[in-house]
Amino acid sequence: MDEQFTAVLRPHLPYLPEDRALAPGDQLRELGLNSMQAIEVLFALEDAYGAAIPDDKLNDHTFETAGNLWEVVAQSREKAGEPR
Amino acid sequence: MTTTLVTPEPSATGARPQDRTTPAATSPLNLRASSAVDPAALADVLATAREHAPSADADAAFPTAVLDRLRTTRLLGLVVPTRYGGPGGTVDDVLAVSHALSRECTSSGMIFAMHSQQVEAVVRYGPPRLAEQLLPRIARGEVYLASVTTEVGNGGYLLSAGEAVENLGDTLRVRRMAPVVTGGEYADGYLISMRADAEAAENQVSLVYADAKDVTAEPLGGWNPLGMRATRSIPMRFDGAVPNGNVIGGPGRFREIVTETFGPLAHLGWSACWLGTAAGALARTVAWLRSPAERKRQDLTSDLLRSRLSHIRQRLDLVHALIAHGTAVYKAAQSPQAAPYQLLMNAVKLTASQECLAAVNDLIELAGMRHGYLKNSELVLERAVRDLRSAALNYSNDRLHAVDGAMALLDSEVRFA
Repeated sequence: MDEQFTAVLRPHLPYLPEDRALAPGDQLRELGLNSMQAIEVLFALEDAYGAAIPDDKLNDHTFETAGNLWEVVAQSREKAGEPR
Repeated sequence: MTTTLVTPEPSATGARPQDRTTPAATSPLNLRASSAVDPAALADVLATAREHAPSADADAAFPTAVLDRLRTTRLLGLVVPTRYGGPGGTVDDVLAVSHALSRECTSSGMIFAMHSQQVEAVVRYGPPRLAEQLLPRIARGEVYLASVTTEVGNGGYLLSAGEAVENLGDTLRVRRMAPVVTGGEYADGYLISMRADAEAAENQVSLVYADAKDVTAEPLGGWNPLGMRATRSIPMRFDGAVPNGNVIGGPGRFREIVTETFGPLAHLGWSACWLGTAAGALARTVAWLRSPAERKRQDLTSDLLRSRLSHIRQRLDLVHALIAHGTAVYKAAQSPQAAPYQLLMNAVKLTASQECLAAVNDLIELAGMRHGYLKNSELVLERAVRDLRSAALNYSNDRLHAVDGAMALLDSEVRFA
């Protein structure tokens, strides 16, 4: 998880204390991410990393923890260079 | 507020336009295709349908390339039981494939759905000798069946026929004109409804199988409609003699076949196709809205946009739920003669024909002139709305409402199937 990832996510996590870093095991829903915001987070991440996150990754598991979401972003970023 | 995140089906969601080289392996109908459908075979047919849909629509040409792939992949024999060399596919499989095909090309979906409905009639009611000869050929992809059940001026009503079968001893003379025969010029065999014999009343109707080699099939006109252009649903005249063992279900039994099989399968199959057309249109539109370029131009937090998308999606979920329930009731087949059963099957068709058209109409409103209305838009909403405009006419909704009104009066308890 890099700094940019945390910076994109933080505005959508109202219950993450300002002085605490985001950890891979953090439950995103407990930190205040809801389904209305999930789509905003998705777009913000895609814009930030120039990657397209595949539809089949848009599931509960991906949005469960910060680490899961980061993993999907990282995978999509690797693929972004490949011709689609 | 719910915190449950939306979980799309892995293989079936509308991908971005540039990702569409990887077609859905299964349909998003709950009635998912079973192992009877080879995912690679389906992907092959879907890719062909996608490639040829624009030219088939522009030229009002039958999708022969798709039919070829349906033959070589043997999907044409999907419902043929294993004992006749088929994969033994079910109604769920037919609906799943019809739906998936219609996401790419509604005409191809309808051609497949109606052919499969004909095959199912042969499977369920065909005399043993005919079944043994015909079904293995269908399983091998050699026979595309067309339906010859329309009469001039009857709006699709199936249960009366003017011209009669003529008994010549070993053979039956089959001579009849039909105003609408989908894909008739490309068929290898026909299921033809006719009055059971010269003395029979108009409502004593038989269903007769005619192999293309046994009859002349003469086109009587062309086909230049608003939508469903690739179905090539032309008027034709048939004349020939077929073996007298070719009467499906026995003389005068077409009514049972319609009530038990043709009617429900037609309504479920068409509805699965129309849902596919609308679902494909929504998938393409959502992919477009979500593309990085477009979401810079659009405000995806707009209440109006989200409300429109919600209403469109609601229409499709309504149709999907009705198809799923109708299919479950069809498979249970408790009392196909009962009013609640027939009202349900008609409601599936009526609702799908209205809601799928309305959904695509709403999508055009949402996408606007350039992306929603132009023929060369990659969202292809223009073709979808033309295709779906036929849904209310494809067995007239007015006629169904007249029947439903009468049945509603019969069912004073208001029971539900």
